[in-house]
Amino acid sequence: MYGIIAFFRRHYFAVLFVALEFLSLSFVFRDNYYHQAGFFNSANSVAGSFYKTYNDITSYFHLKTENTQLAEENMRLHNNLAEITDTTKRPKVPHTNPYGQQFNFTTAEVIDNSTNQASNYITLNMGKKQGIAEGMGVISPSGIVGVVIGVSDHYAVVMSMLHKNYQLSAMLKKGGAFGTITWKGDDYRYALLSQIPMSEQVNAGDTIVSSGYSTMYPKGITIGVVEKAEPIPTQYFYTIKVRLTTNFKKLGFVYVVSDLMKTEKTDLEENAHKANDGK
Amino acid sequence: MISEWGKNIARFIVFMLIQVLILKHIDLSRFINPFLYIIFLLMLPIRMDKSLFLFIAFATGLTIDMFYNTMGYNAAACVFMAYCRPRVLRFYAPKGEYDTSAKPTIQSMGLSWILSYAGTMVFLHHLVLFFLEALSFSSFFTTFAIVIVSSISTVGLIVLSQLIMQRRRT
Repeated sequence: MYGIIAFFRRHYFAVLFVALEFLSLSFVFRDNYYHQAGFFNSANSVAGSFYKTYNDITSYFHLKTENTQLAEENMRLHNNLAEITDTTKRPKVPHTNPYGQQFNFTTAEVIDNSTNQASNYITLNMGKKQGIAEGMGVISPSGIVGVVIGVSDHYAVVMSMLHKNYQLSAMLKKGGAFGTITWKGDDYRYALLSQIPMSEQVNAGDTIVSSGYSTMYPKGITIGVVEKAEPIPTQYFYTIKVRLTTNFKKLGFVYVVSDLMKTEKTDLEENAHKANDGK
Repeated sequence: MISEWGKNIARFIVFMLIQVLILKHIDLSRFINPFLYIIFLLMLPIRMDKSLFLFIAFATGLTIDMFYNTMGYNAAACVFMAYCRPRVLRFYAPKGEYDTSAKPTIQSMGLSWILSYAGTMVFLHHLVLFFLEALSFSSFFTTFAIVIVSSISTVGLIVLSQLIMQRRRT
C-alpha cells in the first residue's frame, strides 16, 4: 500500500498524463459518441449559439448567390410540376402510402460548415424541437449534402458528404446501375463512385443520383456528374470520379428529409433478418 | 500577476476566435491546415506548474474539439504536447537556466529559440492530431507530409502573431 502511494507521488505527472490522454482517446474511439455525449459537439448551446450569431451577421453577404440558387430551384420544380400535371405522364401505380406522401422536407439554415478537414461537419439552426432526428438526410437545392448524426433542442450536427466515413448507395440515372459513393478526403468538389460493373456504359457527363435504398433520401436526388470513368481491369469495376453538384463552400439553406415510412421499412427489414437468423 | 492572467485569458479568446472563425474556413490545400490556437498554450509562463499546464491543455483541446466536431482529437494532441513540454523546455534551455523573468516570446528568448521551441511543440501536436484523424484513411506518407507542411504554416503564423503582439506593445 505504502509502495503504491510512493509510486504515485513520484510519477504523478506521468499518471496524470496517462489519465487525461486515456480520457481523450476514449472520446476519439467511442463509437457514435453523439448518442452518449451530446454536449461535446457543435450542437451544444455554447457552440451552437456562437455559430448562429456569427452566421446571422455574415449570411447577408451571401444573399445574392442564395437568391440565384433558389430561383433556379423554383424553375426546376415548376418544370417538374408541369410534367406531373400532364395526366398522360402520371404514374399508373396508385398511391398506397397512408400519409399521402413519403417524404417530408424541413428548411434549415447552415450556421457552420467546413470543407478542409478529413471529417467535415455542418451545423444547422434546427433541432429536436423542430422535429429533426438522427439519421435524417440533408439535401441542398442542387444535390445531396449529408446526414444528421446529432441533435440538441435547437441545433443539429450533420455529417457532411465530405467525411471519411460517409457512404451512400448511388445509381446512374441512365441505365440504373448501382454503386457506392465515398469521399477520398482530397477535394471538396469530387467524390468517388465504385462498384459499377464494367458491363455498364459510363460516359463523362452522366448524372449520378441517389438510389433510394436507404431511408435517408428519396430516390433520384442528384449527387453529381461523371467526370472521368476508369476501368480497373482486374476487378471488372469502374473507378468513377464524380463532380458533386452541391457546392459545399457555399451552403446556405438546406432541406432536412424525414422519411415518414422509415420505421415501417426498418422494422420490416429487421424482423426479416431476425426470422432468417432464427433458422 | 493579475494582468499576466488577464493577458493569457485575452490571448485564449482571441486565438480561439481566429481559429474557429477564420482558419477553420481557409481552404488553401489539404496539406496546409494550421492550428494557430496552440500559441496560447505555448505562451503560458515557462515556470508554470506542469500539472496545471496539462489540465489547461486538455481543456483547450476540448474547446477546439467542440467547435470542430472532432471529439477528443485535439484534446489528445494537446495533452501529449503538454506532457512533452518540460522535456522540450529543458532540451532548449539556455546555458545555466531560464531567467526568472524569461517569457516564451521572441522579445525575451530570441527568434531561433522560438523557432526550435514552437517548431518542436507544434510538430508533436500535429503528429498526434493528423495521425489520429488519418487512422484507416490515408497513407502514412501523405499524412506525414500534411504534418510537416501544416506544422510549418502553424509555426509561421505563431511567429507572425508574436511579432504583431510585440509591435503593439512597443
